[in-house]
Amino acid sequence: MKTLIEMINVTKDFLNGEDVIHALKKTNFSAAEGELVAIIGPSGSGKSTFLTILGGLQRPTTGQVLIEGKPFSQLSDKQKTNIRFTKIGFILQQSNLIPFLNVKEQLLLHDRISGNRVNKDWLEELLTGVDVKRFSKKYPNELSGGERQRVAIAKALYHNPSVIFADEPTASLDTKRAFDVIKLLKQQTKIQKKATIMVTHDERLIEFCDKVYVIVDGVMTQREM
Amino acid sequence: MYLAWKELNHNKGKFALIIVLVTLISYLVYFLTSLAYGLASSYTNGVTKWQADNIVLNYQANDNIMMSYLSDDEYDRVEASGEKAKLGFFPAIISLKDAASEVDTRQAVYVFGIEDGSFLAPNEYSLITLPNGMIMDQSIKDEGYNLGDTIEITRTNGDKIEWVIQGFTEKATYQTAPIIYTSMDNYRLYAFGTIAAPVFSAIVVRGSVNALGNGATGETLVNYDIQTFISTLPGYTAQVLTFSLMIGFLIMIVAFVLGIFIYVLTIQKINMFGVMKAQGISNRFIASSVIWQTLILVLLGMVVGLALTIVSGIFLAGIVPFATNVLFYIVISAGFIIFSVIGGLFSVRAVTKIDPLKAIGA
Repeated sequence: MKTLIEMINVTKDFLNGEDVIHALKKTNFSAAEGELVAIIGPSGSGKSTFLTILGGLQRPTTGQVLIEGKPFSQLSDKQKTNIRFTKIGFILQQSNLIPFLNVKEQLLLHDRISGNRVNKDWLEELLTGVDVKRFSKKYPNELSGGERQRVAIAKALYHNPSVIFADEPTASLDTKRAFDVIKLLKQQTKIQKKATIMVTHDERLIEFCDKVYVIVDGVMTQREM
Repeated sequence: MYLAWKELNHNKGKFALIIVLVTLISYLVYFLTSLAYGLASSYTNGVTKWQADNIVLNYQANDNIMMSYLSDDEYDRVEASGEKAKLGFFPAIISLKDAASEVDTRQAVYVFGIEDGSFLAPNEYSLITLPNGMIMDQSIKDEGYNLGDTIEITRTNGDKIEWVIQGFTEKATYQTAPIIYTSMDNYRLYAFGTIAAPVFSAIVVRGSVNALGNGATGETLVNYDIQTFISTLPGYTAQVLTFSLMIGFLIMIVAFVLGIFIYVLTIQKINMFGVMKAQGISNRFIASSVIWQTLILVLLGMVVGLALTIVSGIFLAGIVPFATNVLFYIVISAGFIIFSVIGGLFSVRAVTKIDPLKAIGA
């Protein structure tokens, strides 16, 4: 399987006054196509630092991140913004939907910005695949939490990125809806051949994942499945 | 523009309030402009109607045409490239001769005495067939004056002079009062009691003045270009400046208010914009959306404000000195747009400072 994202010898230090905080100690990580990878750990362990460095929102102190084998973390902010727009899909804890766009428009926004022609077949397939087609004219405030997260998954997949970052995607959902969402995420990861990296503190979800990493005090280790 | 328009459509109520505010202020600005232009025009219509470039007055008159008296000799001395014409000028109070005694028809007017064939004569001047005939500004019709009516003018010595209205002409006002165009003889009879008085008030020149011929006789004549002459009309400059300041400040107030509204709306959406930035949507796209939103709000408000102004003008044209001027509307609209965009740029600055890390809660 092709490796889509890699983190090589990455560390992240912060200054707190004169003290240096090692938020992320030397970390190596990779995710390949079709893999759903969970990153778990307690609050303040460095999960979000890990994900934001991976997503190019923070620069690592040392080491580098590669996407599809190409350097990512060393690029300029503008170049990283462009890579995030084309190669990465985000699913966030609070659904990352725009309140004044309906479900269909949420997905098509990417085409609007990039100037791409709308791929109607892909749009229909995706809306059907995540089971939100019947809501396509509805606005986020007219949907339940689970429905919003399904739309967020479709939105993250629509522009055909290589990597999906999911930050606590089931945090606001009850158990049944959380399981529905994670199953859908896994299914789409396999079908669309993406690498999905999910940060969560919900241990119930790890049974759906292909790999699980645990971060404690900035140290990441892989847990045996 | 896409996001801006979508948000406006989705939150019609919220944005309608802002548009109403912009509408009211832009209506006030357009209306004030029309009033200011109408008032300024009613000061100067009679002068601009000459389509002249210069006016020569007596130096001793100190810019005041009413105090200027010139002789035929002085007229001959003035060398001009183009046409020159004598103008007799005198204020008057007129009344209708045959009006019922209980009706007060008195009106303040200015008498323009002109020579036959002079370029100062309006086109309708050819309608005059009687020795005591005259042409008047048509606004006098609203006061009950009609074609063929005889008017009375009382001289300072109590003598009454009778003139007959033989035609009306458009846009013939001076310092807001209607103008009477009549012969130089009639003017002299009224102003000096005799047609033999060889004096008049000014020399109007269409073209340039080459020499005033003051020479050894000392400075007896002075030349003004028409714009300078207009600016010396009593109260004219003060009035135009006052209105201009009001209009300028109102435009800036609109920009400021709109800028604050857009800024508050932007701050409310910081989280959404932060998430968009995390998703790789550029500052440029988000900022252009904010600017488009500002533009749409100001354009909608302006269009409704302008429409209200035009409707108001239709109903109020005869009551207040209301006049439309497309060029002024274009300039003011451009001012609204430019200053509002500047106001919107504060929000753009806020957008560029949004940290996507905070927005996604990392």
